[in-house]
Amino acid sequence: MSGAADREAVFPTRQSLGIMKAKLKGAETGHNLLKRKSEALTKRFREITHRIDEAKRKMGRVMQIASLSLAEVTYAVGGNIGYQIQESAKSARFRIRAKQENVSGVLLPAFEAYQTEGNNDFAMTGLGKGGQQVQRCRETYARAVEALVELASLQTAFVILDEVIKVVNRRVNAIEHVIIPRTENTIKYINSELDELDREEFYRLKKVANKKQRDTAAADVEAKKRKELLEKENETPDADHATGPTDLLAAEDDQDVIF
Amino acid sequence: MASQADFRDRQFLAVIGDEDSVTGLLLAGIGHVTAPPDNQKNFLVVDAKTDNSAIEAAFENFTTERKDIGIVLINQHVADRIRNRIDTYTQAFPTVLEIPSKDHPYDPEKDSVLRRVRRLFGE
Amino acid sequence: MEGLLFNVNNGYIEGIVRGYRNGLLTGTNYTNMTQCETIDDLKLQLGPAYGDFLSTLPPNPSTSSLASKTTDKLVSEFRYVRANAVGSLAKFMDYVTYGYMIDNVALLITGTLHERDTRELLDRCHPLGWFETMPVLCVATNIEELYNSVLIETPLAPYFKGSLSHQDLDELNIEIVRNTLYKNYLEDFYEFVNSHPDMAGTPTAEVMSELLEFEADRRAINITLNSFGTELSKADRKKLYPSFGLLYPEGTLMLSRADDFEGVRLAVEGVSDYKSFFEAAGLGGGPGGPGNMAGGSGSESRSLEDMFYQKEMEIAKSAFTRQFTFAIVYAWVKLREQEIRNITWIAECIAQNQKERIGNYISVF
Repeated sequence: MSGAADREAVFPTRQSLGIMKAKLKGAETGHNLLKRKSEALTKRFREITHRIDEAKRKMGRVMQIASLSLAEVTYAVGGNIGYQIQESAKSARFRIRAKQENVSGVLLPAFEAYQTEGNNDFAMTGLGKGGQQVQRCRETYARAVEALVELASLQTAFVILDEVIKVVNRRVNAIEHVIIPRTENTIKYINSELDELDREEFYRLKKVANKKQRDTAAADVEAKKRKELLEKENETPDADHATGPTDLLAAEDDQDVIF
Repeated sequence: MASQADFRDRQFLAVIGDEDSVTGLLLAGIGHVTAPPDNQKNFLVVDAKTDNSAIEAAFENFTTERKDIGIVLINQHVADRIRNRIDTYTQAFPTVLEIPSKDHPYDPEKDSVLRRVRRLFGE
Repeated sequence: MEGLLFNVNNGYIEGIVRGYRNGLLTGTNYTNMTQCETIDDLKLQLGPAYGDFLSTLPPNPSTSSLASKTTDKLVSEFRYVRANAVGSLAKFMDYVTYGYMIDNVALLITGTLHERDTRELLDRCHPLGWFETMPVLCVATNIEELYNSVLIETPLAPYFKGSLSHQDLDELNIEIVRNTLYKNYLEDFYEFVNSHPDMAGTPTAEVMSELLEFEADRRAINITLNSFGTELSKADRKKLYPSFGLLYPEGTLMLSRADDFEGVRLAVEGVSDYKSFFEAAGLGGGPGGPGNMAGGSGSESRSLEDMFYQKEMEIAKSAFTRQFTFAIVYAWVKLREQEIRNITWIAECIAQNQKERIGNYISVF
């Protein structure tokens, strides 16, 4: 039997046995449920991971196309517009909004890109030269950023799910490897203790029974003797009358049975 | 884990990258400068002269201090310079996304998230 | 008459510039370059033309460093020619650099407006547009100071005078400032080549007029097309059109009234070259999307911008058929610039693995 450390500190009574049994049952149900949750999440997780992998690879391509359109701008404008762009940036036209999605009780955020109307920091850029390329480049980059935002949602979901799955798995493992064995151990312990008590009880009862038997046997012998004596006395009837009742009382007045 | 209510205010993207990447992304319209007197920009141009500490400071600013940024885009070659910081970054918000730059094609091997993906699936 | 005395002062320069022109990459070179798989291959192909300048580049350089190195070559050659130029040719070459100065000044104004460190800006300036007082610009901390003490000292001062005050610099969009300056510059340059006693009536005036008129028209058309959908009003737009060129004055007037691509097309109808450009572009892109370069629809259809560049290169090329003219210097600079753009474009296509559009360069030799 395992040591005392691996079970809960309870008095081995029938009541706590009942509690422990209920607890075990609860743990098993919980384990099943969590396991199922973990499986659902993992399924989702794998799906997301797969999509991230794909999207990340696709992103390389998308960004290349975007870079090329920037190269086109440089080509058409005939110089680097980077500095001017950096300085004229004021208010974000391209923003994101977060919404939530519920997967097995986990709230996964998803970003959604939207463009605010009517603020254009770069409308004048490339006025004299290359303006059309600039506008097209903006569109290309806006598309690229949309792809990036989508990827970012996936990645956030990935990070959160990763975390949640770890927690859930930790719980599953805790239940499976700690709580259930411990409860089982406790039940075993209580059972064994109760058994021990049962055995002691049984032994004692047996002892009592033995003693009773012995006493009865002794009483029988006594009674027999007395009977024989009586029969002998019966042959002299007056003697029988004189001693009979008193002897009977004496026989009744035996040792008490001690429980 | 990030608190669930935290992300609602996050409506901007931020970018740390080389000039071309930043220019392109700004063209897409992500650039935002907060109202004076702060004048905080949500982008940082990194070139060969930029200190790693400046990159880290910007990264810190975008990820921890500012509460209005939902996605941080960072060029992979820039991320490499503060790789340790990126790898140990595990917050869900804001999301850090490594993007390729014009002169440095994308290498999935280096991406901290993809590496985690790979580790999880035992490769 | 000009043939008699031209070579006394300018014969050497002409020889040098013609030599440089022969060093420009030809169609065969470009074909070879488009076959390259890596930037290193491309560097190898450029070896004969740019050897010294590219040798310091690391293996597989970035396209931007490639572009800056090739520009370095143009700059050093230009400086050499400029150092040897005398008299009116020297003045003429200064005029060529003013265009770059405008860009630099626009950059500095932007920087000053946003209170950036102007020293950092100096690195970003185009070396051809460098002028002596430029480092002094670093001293200026606000726009008024910049305007009153620094810009006035630059060769560009006349272009500011009369059309832009320092308040304008503060309020107007930098693009408008830039284009106003450019308009004044073009008009001044045009005036210069047609009135200077050394140039008026010579092939220089003739060829330069053609080049500048084309430039003026191109700007007018571009500004019109690009202003659609912006807050630039028609009246303001009209102020940005140079007051000469093939389109001036009727075409320009019509441009100032144009509301869409169709309006621009009507405005330029009077000039057969532009008309054909617009027809070609109109077929490919339709109104609103006159350029196809980034449409991803393939390399056959060309954008308006491309056709303008093509036309400019052809004019520049034909400038070399004339003798005894300063215009070849201008033409050579333009041709070399286009070459740099071509190289950058090809390098970009290789680097970004977008070979299908690699043929979008413009070669006239």
